[in-house]
Amino acid sequence: MSKPEDSLKSKGAVISAKTGAKESIIDFLKKAMDKGVFDAVLISMRVPAGDSFAYVLIKDKSLLKDAFPLPPVMSVQGAKAVSSVTRLGKGNMKIAAVMRPCETRATVELAKLGQTNLENITLISIDCPGVLPISDFTGEPNKSMKLFDDAAKKWDDKIMRPVCQICDKSSMVAGDVHIGIHGAKKDTFFIISNSQKGNDVLDKLDITLKENIDSWNAKVKNISEEKQKKRKKTLKDLKSEVGGLDNLLDTFSQCINCHNCMKVCPICYCRVCYFDSDKVKHPPEDYLQRAKNKGSIRFLPDTTLFQTGRMLHMSLSCVSCGACEDVCPVSIPVAQIFSMIADETQGLFDYVSGRDLKESLPLLAYKEEELHEVEDAND
Amino acid sequence: MNEKDQHTDVLVIGAGMAGIEASLMLSKADRKVHLVERTSYTGGTAIKFEEVFSNMECSTCMVAPRQQELLQDKNINLLTLAEVEEVKGSFGKFTVKIHKKARYVDMQNCIGCNACFEPCPVSLKNEFEEGLSERKAIYVPCAGALPNVPMIDTDHCLRFKGKDKDCKACQEACMFEAIDFNQKDEQLELKVGAIVAATGFNIFDSKKAPQYGYGKVDDVYTAIEFERLYASNGPTEGNIVLKNGDAPRSAAIIHCVGRDKKGYCSSVCCMYSLKFNHYLKSKIPEIKISEFYTDLCIPGKSHQKFYEKMKETEVDMIRASEIEVAKQGKGIAVKFSNGNGKKSNLPVDMVILAPAIEPRDDASKLAKILGISIDEYGFFKEENPDVSSVVTSKPGVFIAGCSQGAKNIQDSVSQASASVGKVLSLSK
Amino acid sequence: MERKIGVYICECGPNIAEKVDIDKVIDAVSSIDGVVVAEKYKLLCSADGKKFLEEQIKKQGLTHLVISACSPKDHEKTFMEVCENAGINPYLFQLANIREQCAWITEDKDEATKKAIRLTKAAIKRVRYHASLEKKEIDSNPDVLVIGGGIAGIEASLQLVSPDRKIYLVEKTSSLGGLITNYEKTFPSMEPGSSIIKQKIQDLNNDENIKIFTDSEVEETIGFFGNFEVKVKKITDVEEAAEFDVGAVVLATGSTLFDPKKAPQYGYGKFDDVLTSLEFEKMNLSGGISLKNGKPPKSAAIIHCVGRNEKGYCSEICCMYSLKFVRYLKDKIPNIKVSNFYSDLCIPGKSHQKFYEQTKGNNVDFVRSSDVEVTKKGDKLDINYKNETGSKNNIPVDMVILAPAIEPTSDAPKLAEITSISQGDGGFFSEEHEKINPVSTSTEGVYIAGGAQGPKDIPKTIIQAEAAAGKILSSLIPGRKIEPEVKTSQISESLCIGCKLCLSVCSYGSITFDEAKKISVVNEVICRGCGNCVAACPSGAASVKHFTFNQLYQELMEAVQ
Repeated sequence: MSKPEDSLKSKGAVISAKTGAKESIIDFLKKAMDKGVFDAVLISMRVPAGDSFAYVLIKDKSLLKDAFPLPPVMSVQGAKAVSSVTRLGKGNMKIAAVMRPCETRATVELAKLGQTNLENITLISIDCPGVLPISDFTGEPNKSMKLFDDAAKKWDDKIMRPVCQICDKSSMVAGDVHIGIHGAKKDTFFIISNSQKGNDVLDKLDITLKENIDSWNAKVKNISEEKQKKRKKTLKDLKSEVGGLDNLLDTFSQCINCHNCMKVCPICYCRVCYFDSDKVKHPPEDYLQRAKNKGSIRFLPDTTLFQTGRMLHMSLSCVSCGACEDVCPVSIPVAQIFSMIADETQGLFDYVSGRDLKESLPLLAYKEEELHEVEDAND
Repeated sequence: MNEKDQHTDVLVIGAGMAGIEASLMLSKADRKVHLVERTSYTGGTAIKFEEVFSNMECSTCMVAPRQQELLQDKNINLLTLAEVEEVKGSFGKFTVKIHKKARYVDMQNCIGCNACFEPCPVSLKNEFEEGLSERKAIYVPCAGALPNVPMIDTDHCLRFKGKDKDCKACQEACMFEAIDFNQKDEQLELKVGAIVAATGFNIFDSKKAPQYGYGKVDDVYTAIEFERLYASNGPTEGNIVLKNGDAPRSAAIIHCVGRDKKGYCSSVCCMYSLKFNHYLKSKIPEIKISEFYTDLCIPGKSHQKFYEKMKETEVDMIRASEIEVAKQGKGIAVKFSNGNGKKSNLPVDMVILAPAIEPRDDASKLAKILGISIDEYGFFKEENPDVSSVVTSKPGVFIAGCSQGAKNIQDSVSQASASVGKVLSLSK
Repeated sequence: MERKIGVYICECGPNIAEKVDIDKVIDAVSSIDGVVVAEKYKLLCSADGKKFLEEQIKKQGLTHLVISACSPKDHEKTFMEVCENAGINPYLFQLANIREQCAWITEDKDEATKKAIRLTKAAIKRVRYHASLEKKEIDSNPDVLVIGGGIAGIEASLQLVSPDRKIYLVEKTSSLGGLITNYEKTFPSMEPGSSIIKQKIQDLNNDENIKIFTDSEVEETIGFFGNFEVKVKKITDVEEAAEFDVGAVVLATGSTLFDPKKAPQYGYGKFDDVLTSLEFEKMNLSGGISLKNGKPPKSAAIIHCVGRNEKGYCSEICCMYSLKFVRYLKDKIPNIKVSNFYSDLCIPGKSHQKFYEQTKGNNVDFVRSSDVEVTKKGDKLDINYKNETGSKNNIPVDMVILAPAIEPTSDAPKLAEITSISQGDGGFFSEEHEKINPVSTSTEGVYIAGGAQGPKDIPKTIIQAEAAAGKILSSLIPGRKIEPEVKTSQISESLCIGCKLCLSVCSYGSITFDEAKKISVVNEVICRGCGNCVAACPSGAASVKHFTFNQLYQELMEAVQ
């Protein structure tokens, strides 16, 4: 995976975290607001009822103390939150958006698709331990919170969502600034810059990037390799379960066409989803004819078409965030399936969604030599 | 130019690539075009090719839409089987006499079903296919010829030759009453304002360079014969085979055939010889190919790229002189001298010759009729070679395409467009 | 409004009648909802057939027409005209091909009939969803912007100009004529270069319908064929700008030479008396050929193909002008020894070989060579090279003339952007089709000619300029309205979410982005209806008229029943 400005990530800064990682991050953000580097911060917060988390755009820096940078669940996909703020323009406030790598990557993809304007937004990502399945958390929030904290401290992902367990990009640097927890000495964390904007922001905060971050790189590589092994095995098993037309139909036979997965997916940005539009609503004669042709027709019809069609539309930008699987009422492992396919489709074009804002979407990038595996099949 | 009494119609002679371009452009400008074509079909030599360099596009796919446009264009009066006999007058006021041979098939009624071919008792070599296959006395030159209406070859038809005055096998087979033996040749008189001569070319008769073995040694083909072998609508349906029906295991392509005799480079042969690599390799992947050339002439922004690509097909490029082709055992031997002066002998199964492009046999006759000159090579002569190569010494008569000199399709079409530019700007 | 669909099946003589059971087809479709008549006819495309259809349309009061017959390529146009003449919109018609797609591909009458029924039913289903489409007409401006005042631009301007067509000629230097003004003589006639150009420049200056801008550049051309808005600025005084409207643009901006400094083995810029061809032309034109020390050279080497490897193409004219240089040298310094170092002699063109034969002679060498290097040996330049057999050799010379590759001018990318065309092989402007449309581009109304399209000699340049002029003269006629494509794309305002995927895949630049509404908008005049945007749009906001989702879906569903 080639990265832009690789030289930026050989050095970083070391920040003290004596008061605890969460508090130190909040402190860092508060200082930034004090200095006027940011006017507002978009970050997660625990809801008053305590049983979930939400993204909040905080203008009053005194409220930062209640922020929760890495909550145990992904309620709203961060990219959707960012996109809501600046879809129609860049706004006049400088905002820091603190999210997971997958949420940051999705934001970058949405920027390429004209769905968000990042001019006044600094994207800050953090090494991610994964999240719990939403249903697990909301049942017993306090108990789950403790379980999550313990697991996160040890970077143990056994209780996290299946798609998080096989995520090999949990420390991927996307966006502008990255907070590195791995390999940092006790009571510290790393700050890494990924763009000129990141450089400028850290500059204004008098944070110089001259420390060696080899230990972070090494630990991240380590974890990524382990995850990749797990990913390979899991997806191999998944492929044999889901692969082939019969298995595919079986897998999606539980689908009730509720479109929840599409609704929470950050990449699904269409005003009216193709599969909600008039194009899939047919006159009665069509359905009756289909019933006649095949003997019977299921309603709501065309669920496999919806699944594979959605895959076709968003797979090249999929960040495997898992929001979809969290909300499926009939527990289809959609995130794992879509993540598996995304690997393949993005792999065809040597593309990794969200890694570089300047990298063109595969659909729009014309290369004279490409897709020989498809083209030359018969030669 | 005085606009009163000027004829605005234009005569275009030749319905090949240049003639088609000129006609379509003139029609767009709302000029009436009389397109006189000697043969029964449009498209000229280009429709004999399966693919064209350098994008290897299907030639008929490239030409057919234009032919269709031509046939359906109300401004274009296509006169096939017609020749120009006399031109009188001057720019803006030409009177042209055309001799139009009868086709003996009604072009309105005929729908191109080809049912009339089968019953015809006469079979002879098909000139369009370079003699590699046969046709009947009532025929279209190839599948897909446009207009898709047959003609009767009166030189061989039993009825017209007097050998069987009652033969009407074709007429009986036709459900549309399209065959009309009573058609007569016509003499037409056209009043036109300008003339564009785009009559194309012939290829050098390789028999005149006997060292290449053409006509003596089996499986020595000219470029056009080879194009027909490769063509999917050709005599072998695109199968490249030797006379004995086997596929060749090796081939030699010899450039510059006749160049010494003609005294000029024909511009397109190096490129199409490279194209032939692709033809051969696509049908016979293991075939060994050797190209015998003197100087590789591949000017143009896209042509070297094409050459590099063709080289990837593992062709042997041999710079050679004193080439001789002779029979050797069951196959052929190509004798040659290479750059070191060393003499060599290469056995091959098949030889393809790239003959020089020369003017048509009737070029000087037509030039006289048009009142223009021909140059020392027999091509139509431009008035001033330093400026516009489409302008002749006779105002109102323009030349385009290979009738002016050997060139590729791009340049022929450009000249046709330029001729039209001249016609439109000089006459309103 | 009640739909009255008329279905007519052509027998096409024996072609369809013998292979398809037409009566069965008629039975199968007569009772379809909306079909008021289903009949057969011997030959619908004949004069009688067309008359029959027209009468039927009027008699039956048909609103839609379906014909099952031959290929649309043959007669869709014919029957659309019939509709127009009979008073129904020609787009409320569908032609099902039961000849090429049924009768002509199988001997099995049963199979053919079954398929013919499917195709006819599909056409009937589809035509229900057709919408009336109207031809549009817009005014056009016949004036032309010619960018580049070299031979191509001058020729095009002179060819195009007339009292009802103004020409605006923009030249970036302070004088007209381009590269030719540097040539004492041109090949193959060896007539003075000025003789070609002087009179033309005079004619240009005297023509009141040609406005010439020297020391100027085109800032922008906004619009489309027939309606471009042009802004021209003076390079030296940016405040001085001109704005005017034209209908077409000709890019005749010429070419330049590869910088031999990028091929250091030739010693250019390192050693004295190593010149590019253009420098040599200028020296020759100014009167005397001499070395830096003022003396005339006793020997010269002309090195062909300088930069050819780097550029990847043959520049077409260098072998010929190298021969011309031999003649220049021999004319002025009769005893000079000239050596040509070349790889392949490229001299296509009917008089070019003769020119070569007549240039060979005493003290003129043609050395086929590779790995050519220019070094200094004492006070002479030394040409090191490998000859045909591969053995190394060297020749000392006084003067070296390099024939560098021809490349596009440095402003080519900017011009391509301004006019919305692309650069292709070698960075030269891309023609619409390599063989059958070499002077048009994918942007209608923008034409390319001469060196800007690719390396070429003067006669070919003039031909392309005349060809571009011809294209404009035949399609942009004063007073004539332009009929843009009818079946264009349209983007639903309510569905478009502004992701701009369609904009990126549009080859014609017909989609723009409305920043206020944050949606993409199609310019129906430029749109050619190719459908790329429809394929790219994930939400289905884009659709092409006459090929809407519903129309295609219904036709397909019926066909595969």
